[in-house]
Amino acid sequence: MSRSYFFRSLLLIAVLAIGFISCTPTERDNSEEKGAGVPQQQEYTIEIKQMKFIPAEIIVHKGDKITFVNHDLVTHDITDDPGKTWTSSALPADESWSMTVTQSSNYYCTLHPTMKGKIAVE
Amino acid sequence: MDKILVTFFNNNFSNNKLNKMIMKKMTPAMMRSFAIAFALFTTTGPAMAQSNPSLTDPEVAHVAVVANQIDIGYADIAIKKSKDGEVVKFAETMKRDHTAVIEQAAALAKKLGVTPKDNAVSQKLLADADKTKKSLNGKSGKAFNKAYIDNEVAYHKAVIGAVEGLLIPETDNAELKQLLQNVVPALKAHLGHAEMVQKNYK
Repeated sequence: MSRSYFFRSLLLIAVLAIGFISCTPTERDNSEEKGAGVPQQQEYTIEIKQMKFIPAEIIVHKGDKITFVNHDLVTHDITDDPGKTWTSSALPADESWSMTVTQSSNYYCTLHPTMKGKIAVE
Repeated sequence: MDKILVTFFNNNFSNNKLNKMIMKKMTPAMMRSFAIAFALFTTTGPAMAQSNPSLTDPEVAHVAVVANQIDIGYADIAIKKSKDGEVVKFAETMKRDHTAVIEQAAALAKKLGVTPKDNAVSQKLLADADKTKKSLNGKSGKAFNKAYIDNEVAYHKAVIGAVEGLLIPETDNAELKQLLQNVVPALKAHLGHAEMVQKNYK
């Protein structure tokens, strides 16, 4: 066995050992407990007042929760624009509605089509 | 008479862009109603206007309720007569929203122990609304839809001008003033919606 062959073998064993240690169940369990690499669900509120969505544009992550609160005198809804793939249905004054974000969307109030907002997923 | 009213409006309402737009779209009947409303606030002289507004808060509340009732009346006609989905949806929104405003006004009046009081402005608004309703009831199909939505655009412009320029400044009670201020964004959203529908009938 040549000296160079011995050192190459030693190096390979060292690399394999480091890889094994870094992937032990204990380490993985600790990572999951700490939430490392798994984004926590963030919660956001969009207020509806003065016939506007405030803020009108919001940047969130997939899985985040958005709650719409209607502070206006009148009933509104929050509906995907233009596909209408999701909607809050009628949201009377002083009531709220929550959604979990799955993708970027433009949305509007079908009852008052000048009211528009945007959810951007980054 | 209408020439006199146009001159009156030019002299008193031509200082901003919104009121110029109101002038362009306002029907003679609306012009007469809001001219009377404006005159009631101004023709008593500056001193009187400041110390003794021509309309009391109960009268302002009555005008506000009547203005909402009038648009509900127009909406009822549209819901009954129109076959255009967009027109009907707009009318349903008008009925729902203006009913909500009346309920808020009624709740506030009850809280304040105030009874909205009938007055000359309310009576004039109702008299002119009756004429408009007769005109709308005499139309059908596309002509009705155009007349209804044109009237909604003009009516909301006129009401926004009257609420911002007359009713809010002359209201003493803070809660009634706040209610009127809260209604303005809804009126402007209605106007924007009406103009969107109106594009289909140009």
